[in-house]
Amino acid sequence: MLKLAGISKSFPGVRALNGVHLHVQPGEIHGLLGENGAGKSTLIKIIAGADAPDEGEMDFADAPVQWSSPREAKQHGIHVVYQEFALFPQRSVAENIFIGHERRNRFGLLDHARTRREATQLLQRLGVSLNVNAAVSSLSVADQQMVEIARAMVHNVKLLVLDEPTAVIAGREVAVLFELLRRLRETGVSVLFISHRLDEVFAICDRVTVLKDGRLVGTHDIRDVTRQRLISMMVGRDLGDLFPPRTMTARSSETILRTEGVTVGERVRDVSIELRRGEIAALAGMVGAGRSELALGLFGAMPLRSGVIHLAGQRITSMTPARAIGLGMGLVTEDRKSQGLAMLLDIAANISGPALSEVAKHGLIDRRLESEVAAREIERYRIACRGPGTKVATMSGGNQQKVIVARWARICRSVLILDEPTRGIDVGAKAEIYRIMRELARSGVAILMISSELTEVIGMADRIIVMREGRVTGELPGGAATEEDIMHLATSENAA
Amino acid sequence: MTGAANLRIEMPWLLRNNAGLAGVLVLIALVCLVGAAASDRFLSFNNFLNVFEQTTDLALVSIGQTLTILAGGIDLSVGSLISLTSCLTSGLINNNPDRVVVVVIAVLVLGTAVGCVNASLVVALRVHPLIVTLGMGAVLQGVTLLYALGPVGRVPRGFNFLAYGRVYGLPLGATLAVLLCILIALLLRYLPLGRQVYALGDDANSARLVGLRRTRILMLVYGTSGFCCAATGLYLAARFGVGQPYTGVNYTLASITPVVLGGTLLSGGKGGVVGTLFGAFLIALLNNLLNFMDVSKHYQLVAQAVIIILAVSVYVERRRTM
Repeated sequence: MLKLAGISKSFPGVRALNGVHLHVQPGEIHGLLGENGAGKSTLIKIIAGADAPDEGEMDFADAPVQWSSPREAKQHGIHVVYQEFALFPQRSVAENIFIGHERRNRFGLLDHARTRREATQLLQRLGVSLNVNAAVSSLSVADQQMVEIARAMVHNVKLLVLDEPTAVIAGREVAVLFELLRRLRETGVSVLFISHRLDEVFAICDRVTVLKDGRLVGTHDIRDVTRQRLISMMVGRDLGDLFPPRTMTARSSETILRTEGVTVGERVRDVSIELRRGEIAALAGMVGAGRSELALGLFGAMPLRSGVIHLAGQRITSMTPARAIGLGMGLVTEDRKSQGLAMLLDIAANISGPALSEVAKHGLIDRRLESEVAAREIERYRIACRGPGTKVATMSGGNQQKVIVARWARICRSVLILDEPTRGIDVGAKAEIYRIMRELARSGVAILMISSELTEVIGMADRIIVMREGRVTGELPGGAATEEDIMHLATSENAA
Repeated sequence: MTGAANLRIEMPWLLRNNAGLAGVLVLIALVCLVGAAASDRFLSFNNFLNVFEQTTDLALVSIGQTLTILAGGIDLSVGSLISLTSCLTSGLINNNPDRVVVVVIAVLVLGTAVGCVNASLVVALRVHPLIVTLGMGAVLQGVTLLYALGPVGRVPRGFNFLAYGRVYGLPLGATLAVLLCILIALLLRYLPLGRQVYALGDDANSARLVGLRRTRILMLVYGTSGFCCAATGLYLAARFGVGQPYTGVNYTLASITPVVLGGTLLSGGKGGVVGTLFGAFLIALLNNLLNFMDVSKHYQLVAQAVIIILAVSVYVERRRTM
């Protein structure tokens, strides 16, 4: 179906791809694995026509091709579902599905009724029921993904490329997606499946290709490789246990944060939880269960509609981010690009961001001091970069995440909330982030980790709080809990 | 207000797609209430017809501006293009009735062409439309001054009909503006390209990734904006009887206000031209009310600005709680 030979691509200062070969057969689900910065994104862009290779040849459906635009690749039957999607949030589901291929009547004008009807049919064929008149922004992330896949169906797709499709969905939604992909495979569609989650790669892929540092490491039949083998192919070394050992000893240590009947936004209802110094608590649940809203509410970034937060001995009914930071709280948001980092500034400025007074003299920023502080953090967290002056936008996802964590770790004394801290980052960076979290907890900070990755929740948490539809449905001890226990609380059958 | 009565047929889907329209209608009602208290002549049919007539120029230019904003851009060349087209209209016709038809067509074509040049430059140079159209505005103002340093030419008496004429009791210019508005509203709703205008404004990167043809969309919106400017230029030449090189200066920024008042998001992707029409009407009505209340022209500017900022802040508030 798709054959890449000797593809190379350079950007100023980086060789993103170096002579990569990739061969996707008709009707197979092909996994593409690699750490962040391995060149996966660049390769996808080349396949999709969003970027042109410097060297190399591409064959699609047995003919040499050279895309001049994403439009051309689409016309040939390549559809890419990007991690951040290519949707129009204010437009309806039906309009999004047919955008660029609008359904017309015999006068060439838009046929709104037909658009809605065919969108409904298409979604039914995919086994999804959605209101096709709803604005896409009102959908859950999993449903948005279905809209993207439905859109691919419109174009008679031959190769469906999914960039980290399971980074944003959990549990049952993943099962639905996989079922759908298998059905597509039966109809002869090829799928290129990019993921960091090895469990899923083993569950769904027929073959896997591993990239490292822009080079091809190898392509294997999934039955011929083991988990350990794939990890070592990706990182070039064997990782020991991904999760650092638990050190939490003081079960009865001081409660640092306690909420009473906290209600935030439209989703979070009447949440009462406790966090203790030195523990790592995980907040598990499906996407859309209100976990991120709860985090934003605790940090004061979304207003509390009712309820009380007790933080570091203070009783608070209206929280603001400034007050939260003043009380030693920190929040690593889900979306590091738009809500976490100043992408165009350097590492030093990003690290000193919320605590500028520490690097200021006489009210002016002391760039040298700021730089020294940053240099210490870079070393401490092993951030790969050229120095404190490196622009954050030029770094890989994993290293960007380390910069944010470093920023908060410096000033966080009571509670650090991390929302999907390892989303979209590679195994090596993950291990680093886990180590940092454990270290912070040991220093007496309470850590609240929101995660959709159950292995991570089970591997890291001392205590697991499960949410469903805006409410806390239960608590499980870390370590002993199983994935089934968590999913049971997250998706209880009697749910509406 | 028969013009608005015609529009009410369109309202169900327009209201559905454009929550801001409700806002501008509420504001119009508010101004009417205050006006009724200020003077018993304010709510008369004749006064409304008068305000409707005074809406024409702002409505015309803002309708075009709505499209560029919907597509995620802006057109800052409108003022200069209005000046240029009004000067060309009176200068070329030069009181010769035989030339009217040719010149009117030529001016409309020129306006559309300038808009298309704007679009091409945005695409070819990959420069933000703010800069491209700002530059185009400066160029056009220069060209206008090369052509005429002061009032130029004359239009025949009959041409004044465009500005002062009444058809079935309705002011001709304003009625044409309403018809143009309805036409564009229908095109936006029923042309695939119209749908894509919204998509481009909603998310330009997604538009690229799904393979929308940006050039075509921009040609449509900037071309329309240029056409609307030329129409405004024609109207002003008819109203004043003569083209003046600075006649359009104030329209550049003024054209944005009705768009925003009408509920179109400045960031693009949401809104529509019908809201803009009501937005323009609201501003004319407001000025009319202030005249009734004997407020000086200078205070009118201030009052306008205050009301606009307040109105938009109310829109923003509502969106946040939605």
